[in-house]
Amino acid sequence: MKATMIKELLIKSLDSDADPRDISRKLEDAGISYNFSSDFSDKVLSRISAAGSAKVRELEFVKGFNYAFYRIALTGVAAIVILLISIFLMQGSLSFDSFLGLSDSYDESIICLLTGN
Amino acid sequence: MIRESYRQKDENELVKASINGDKLAFGEIVTRYQGMVARTVKGMLGDSVFAEDIGQEVFIKLFQSLSEFRGEAKLSTYIQKIAINLTLNEIKRRKRFFSMFAQSGNNEMHEYMIADRNTEERKEASEIVDKALRNMDPKFRIVLIMRMLQGYSTKETAEILDLPLGTVLSRLSRAQEQLKGILRKL
Repeated sequence: MKATMIKELLIKSLDSDADPRDISRKLEDAGISYNFSSDFSDKVLSRISAAGSAKVRELEFVKGFNYAFYRIALTGVAAIVILLISIFLMQGSLSFDSFLGLSDSYDESIICLLTGN
Repeated sequence: MIRESYRQKDENELVKASINGDKLAFGEIVTRYQGMVARTVKGMLGDSVFAEDIGQEVFIKLFQSLSEFRGEAKLSTYIQKIAINLTLNEIKRRKRFFSMFAQSGNNEMHEYMIADRNTEERKEASEIVDKALRNMDPKFRIVLIMRMLQGYSTKETAEILDLPLGTVLSRLSRAQEQLKGILRKL
């Protein structure tokens, strides 16, 4: 097909009353076609499989992380309970200060250090 | 032999099978629609290896979102929308990338810098189409591709591009004006 005819077809394809199917067929006959490589479909499928296995690995990691978190959290809670019981047995009562290891009286040396007197 | 049996299958059957993880069924969908996607992606981005990557992305995105496909629209329309979104995103990305290096000049030309390599080897007809597409504004280029390469009617073009019919008609007329100017110089 001559260049002038191609140009005419291109312009005509944008006419609102033109038949675009007919134009696209004519252009295809003139050798205007766009295709991907012959193994395109296989490449897509292998990328999907790769993405799928990466997703599985990600899920396994999250699952393992959650499991480890539960174990650590349970151990931590058990340690806190044991600490509270031991404080209660030693001091006969439970308070926030005793839980943090603070005594009722202030150490004078700390006050001197902070105030500079 | 197995692939042959998928060729006989209806589109809805292929979609259902793909959702259930049947890769061969999805492979058949890819085979059926890769030509259509190639026309949109390569028409918009030029005939480069990058266009093929975007083409692959289109089908990966389709595979990931197939469960959301309710079958209200045609599968081809659904795929076409994904292809258009991804190519327009790629054009925006390239513009951002090249604007970091070029303070002035025509970004549209930069956009096709890589795709331009094989232009000399192409036939005269393809060369005219490529040059016309390359020099058009992306919003007019997509309209031209929908009409000229995909053969969609004005109504179908409006549906795929999610635009009112009046907007498409106005773009057709403005695109035609721009195209005439470009073709006069060729």
